[in-house]
Amino acid sequence: MSAIVNLRVFRNFQQFVSIRPISNYPTSFRKNEEIQKVDGDDEFRSLDLSPNKSLNMRSYGRKVYKRAAVHPPRSNKMPTDQDWPSVWPVARSFHPASVPLPLHQGWVVPGATPPGKFANAELMKIPNFLHLTPPAIERQCQALKKFCTEWPKELNTNEKIENHFPITITTSDYLHSSPSLRDARARIVTLQLKLSSLKLDSHAKDKLLRLVKERYNPETDVLTIVSERCPLRKQNLDYAMYLLNVLISESWKTEPWENEKCEADMEKYVWEGSQSQRTVEQLLQRMPDREKAMPEVIEQYARNVTRFHNEGEDAEKISDYKESVKKLLGLQA
Amino acid sequence: MAAILSGLFYSSDVYLSLSSVQSTDKVAVVPQLRQFHASAACCKVQSGRYKISPKRDKALTYEMANPPHFIAHRKSWNSWDTTSLLEGQRAAETSVEDVFIRRFVSGTWHDQLCSEIIIKRQHNLIRIAGIIKQGLAARKMYFLIGYTEELLSNWLQCPVKLELQTVENKEATVFKYI
Repeated sequence: MSAIVNLRVFRNFQQFVSIRPISNYPTSFRKNEEIQKVDGDDEFRSLDLSPNKSLNMRSYGRKVYKRAAVHPPRSNKMPTDQDWPSVWPVARSFHPASVPLPLHQGWVVPGATPPGKFANAELMKIPNFLHLTPPAIERQCQALKKFCTEWPKELNTNEKIENHFPITITTSDYLHSSPSLRDARARIVTLQLKLSSLKLDSHAKDKLLRLVKERYNPETDVLTIVSERCPLRKQNLDYAMYLLNVLISESWKTEPWENEKCEADMEKYVWEGSQSQRTVEQLLQRMPDREKAMPEVIEQYARNVTRFHNEGEDAEKISDYKESVKKLLGLQA
Repeated sequence: MAAILSGLFYSSDVYLSLSSVQSTDKVAVVPQLRQFHASAACCKVQSGRYKISPKRDKALTYEMANPPHFIAHRKSWNSWDTTSLLEGQRAAETSVEDVFIRRFVSGTWHDQLCSEIIIKRQHNLIRIAGIIKQGLAARKMYFLIGYTEELLSNWLQCPVKLELQTVENKEATVFKYI
């Protein structure tokens, strides 16, 4: 009697076939894996209510499960005349299946072949320029062209540019690989201009050079003003322009005490207004026959005296000076 | 050898000074000298280097096969950024973020990664590259990529891109056996 009851229970159990997959539900990792594999694409495990022998009957021995087919790399199917900038439009890490090149990278003992492009982490590390092929750059330039304005035709030489835009402003932008755009060095503004473009007279130029000191380069005639004391670039730029304005207006001013400058205060010998010039004039007045002394002779004398004072004394300059004096006085021998 | 000699010299020196203190017991102030063991410094360098296994069957990737002193010679860095340049910014923050990214990605893609995690930074963009196994279903893979990118970009407050390469199994990345 008891045996029959047992059988009945078993039969009842057989009818609820849909219980089986649920009872198979992950008791171990391997079972879980098996269920997934049976379901094929294993997007979701489906609850199969219809009796299915392969699913519901307990099978002994290993099952062979098919994996989803892995497609061959698409670089195999790429035509040779494909449009590469659309295959690799922007910067990205190297991917071997997208690049139809037989690449190798890695150090090996001499004679062996370096590792290929598949499963090669070294190729993924180095920055690549596959998105910057010449056609891609050309296309980007074409796309950017409509945002550009034409260069003025009149400014076709460097001289004209320097003449119309004498001031050069130099600033630097710093790009970091960080989420912040800020860099303290970006505030520094350098203003440069040629002193000849200011059209200063000798007094103003002399005063300006005394004010700017080492900021003037006599070899290139360039005045450089670096402004970095303000926190923002705009403020520094304004400050540099302010400094330039102040410098120029100060150098054009003549203070009352500047007239007290005598020959001993001169930093270098100047012929005009010097004692020597006055003496020569007086001398020529007393020598009426030399009154019509050629101006070029006086000029040569002036040049030699100035050189003698400014550049130092040597045999050549002494003989030059001697010649000019002899010419001036009309001496023979 | 020089280090060993200097160590010997140190220990004998200490020993002498101790004996002199003990012999002159009339000295009121006993200096607080303690015996210490001075030995030669162990100059062993172990990090990033792998020992040869008895059966010579330990699998190494290219990254593992080249010890750290070959960086920039045979292999390149796993983190690319501008912090180490002259006056580079945020060096400490970047390193900590890189450690965090590595931990998060290796945990999210548990047992899937077959290579080191490569972190390349361009401006405010973070590119994370790596090689994973092909076992995952496409939908799970897409989910994990989106999950990683979305969470990391939320935490780090900048765009994050995950650029993965898949291999059939881990053996594909093996460079040599030692």
